[in-house]
Amino acid sequence: MALTSALPAEQYNYDIVRKFTIMAMVWAVIGMSVGVYIACELAWPFLNFDIPALTFGRLRPVHTTLVIFGFGGSALFATSYYIVQRTCQARLAFPWLAEFTFWGWTGGVTLGVLSYMAGFSQSREYAEFEWPLDLAIAVVWVSYIVVYVETIRRRSQPHIYVANWFFMAFLLAVALLHIFNNLAVPISLTKSYSLFAGVQDAMTQWWYGHNAVGFFLTAAFLGMMYYFVPKQAGRPVYSYRLSIIHFWALIFLYMWAGGHHLHWTALPDWVSTLSAAFSVLLLMPSWGGMINGIMTLSGAWDKLRSDPIMLFLITSLSFYGMSTFEGPLMSLKSVNALSHYTDWTIGHVHSGALGWVALVSFGSFYHLIPRLYDTRMYSDTLIYVHFWLATIGIVLYITSMWVAGIGQGLMLRSFDDYGNLAYTFIETVEFMHTPYVWRALGGAFFVAGVLVMVYNIYMTVQAGRREQAALEAKLAAKLAKA
Amino acid sequence: MTDNTNTSQPSGAVQTTGHAWDGDLQEYNNPLPRWWLWSFYGTVVFSIFYWFVYPSWPVGDTWIKGFGTVEYTTVDKATGKEQEKEFRWNTRALLLEELGNAANDPQRKEMLATVQAADYEQIAKDPKMMEFVRSVGKGLFGDNCAACHGGGGQGVVGLYPNLTDDDWLWGGGIDKIHETLVQGRNGFMPAFGQALKPEQLDDVAEYVLTLSDEAPQSEASERGKAIFQGQVGGCYACHGADAKGLPVLGAANLTDKIWTIANVPAQKTLQDKKAVVKNFVAKGVNNNRVMPAWQDRLSPTDIKLLAVYVYQLGGAQ
Repeated sequence: MALTSALPAEQYNYDIVRKFTIMAMVWAVIGMSVGVYIACELAWPFLNFDIPALTFGRLRPVHTTLVIFGFGGSALFATSYYIVQRTCQARLAFPWLAEFTFWGWTGGVTLGVLSYMAGFSQSREYAEFEWPLDLAIAVVWVSYIVVYVETIRRRSQPHIYVANWFFMAFLLAVALLHIFNNLAVPISLTKSYSLFAGVQDAMTQWWYGHNAVGFFLTAAFLGMMYYFVPKQAGRPVYSYRLSIIHFWALIFLYMWAGGHHLHWTALPDWVSTLSAAFSVLLLMPSWGGMINGIMTLSGAWDKLRSDPIMLFLITSLSFYGMSTFEGPLMSLKSVNALSHYTDWTIGHVHSGALGWVALVSFGSFYHLIPRLYDTRMYSDTLIYVHFWLATIGIVLYITSMWVAGIGQGLMLRSFDDYGNLAYTFIETVEFMHTPYVWRALGGAFFVAGVLVMVYNIYMTVQAGRREQAALEAKLAAKLAKA
Repeated sequence: MTDNTNTSQPSGAVQTTGHAWDGDLQEYNNPLPRWWLWSFYGTVVFSIFYWFVYPSWPVGDTWIKGFGTVEYTTVDKATGKEQEKEFRWNTRALLLEELGNAANDPQRKEMLATVQAADYEQIAKDPKMMEFVRSVGKGLFGDNCAACHGGGGQGVVGLYPNLTDDDWLWGGGIDKIHETLVQGRNGFMPAFGQALKPEQLDDVAEYVLTLSDEAPQSEASERGKAIFQGQVGGCYACHGADAKGLPVLGAANLTDKIWTIANVPAQKTLQDKKAVVKNFVAKGVNNNRVMPAWQDRLSPTDIKLLAVYVYQLGGAQ
């Protein structure tokens, strides 16, 4: 292949970055399509066709694992390997170990989703992998840390760039979360029991669950943002001071907030109060990242009109700001009494996952891919098309979930003149059918955008290869002459 | 950092930190936006306030209880007297408060007493009591019955009886409905697949269809009649010589054109109609037509209200 032959000449290891980038897009297509399918199952339940592997209960972790760890994880591997090399001016350490992280991660995710469909699950949300896969993932993760930290150690820059702080916090925290939440006693190859019991087990799970959001889906993607936003804008980051303050505030405060997932349960009231308060404290540190990203564009706002990649990045920060405002609001006990167990939560997660995580990744990829293949993006128009499909999709998704969630919450707490419940549970389910259809449509819009992106990337890579081949032919001709 | 009050000034006026990465990556050293800083302090103040309202920080082997309080009425078990009690805010007390408020709703209490004292006839005649029955019954039916019988009691042909039509396997009087709710029902019909030859099953199916004018009389139906009414099939023993069923046994009326198990109306041709009836006669009904007993799950008052609710759905006799 033309590209591999050119590899030794590269200053940085781009091969691993390319692999993870392509894999991220593969997982995006599969994982998000599964998401649309299970959204349709909720609207039209016959779609599970009575096949166990296709039921909502099994496909739901397939969807979450593929989009968070498959798509999100691969996007983070790709961008962090790219960023750490370029900001440290050092080639990636231990290329064979980096290669191992690729095959280990991809293999782990693949085996994981197949095992869910076969019915094996730890039943821990976002940590459904059974213990053999957990062990394998832990090994891959530690390898990732070794590669990353050693690359930073070998840097030829005196200072460590802010993006790398965020990635290192993410690496360390995810290792801790993964290991402690998955402490379990195996009884067979496919079955284990958690080391914790009762409410402590639930608390451990949501300490993990919320910090997976905090460190995997927030801190790490902020790392991505801190590189690609100033790079794409061609302007310095707005405030170094703000980045220090909001970094440490975020890191310190997130760890306390997990209990808000367990309001109004057997969790002791005082734990619940503390987690709500820390969630409110998280609002401004989260917004610090948004401000630093958006204000980087200050003085160059016109780029929003002329640069579709900037549009992706800045819109992602706006959704980040919106969902980090919604989060603390929902974590208040009184609001949570209405929102808990309703689709408002699902909508909230997706305004973060689609609006922030996916959009910032797409924007970064549009910046990254032409540089990986030494060419230009095939079509700017298609980037705009993708942007609008994605934005319409997100808006449909979150508004329909507000309607479904807040509507159901209000129905379940309304009483008639005699103090009897005004609605039965099944009536709330009937009510949610229409918003569910809209949600599925929103998801379909979003996936359509991803397919447009895949086509755009494919054409770009092809063009890159053609240009490379032409260049080499020219070079060979010259050499032959000489 | 507070000397720079104008946070919206062009960032070009601010110095960068002097570091550069990857060629052009730099950082301005802008001060923290004031509104950001003050909002952050605001959330700190809010959190402290929140900690004092609700139970919060653990101290030793207890925790700060918070200033929030919950009041609710308890009934002293020894004296039977009601008394107001006040507790520091906690979710358990809050639940008891809400349960107490619901149970002590004066209108609800009064109507409950009235309905408990009245007999079925009085309830049925009194619009106000019926309104109350519908208010309570809707929730009870929705949470306990609708899963099988459907939200409106329409049932599912072949699986769960329709409660809004005039066909009652076990009797449609309000007392019978009450009995069904209290003790449950277990529908049974023996399988005839072994006892009868396939041709005989065909004949019986044909005869059963003539009972509700689904098929014309024929030689086959005459042969089927002989089996049905005679010792070979013995169907009459439960369904009666007139085939009108026997509610004591839960035996179906075969003449009223209402099909509860074999979905005859859904079949287009006579052949298909015969096939569904034949299949059902051959296999019988065994342990799959069970209505659970509710006496251990619902209170007598709930069952009484539910019986009236089912009665007013429209089909009861």
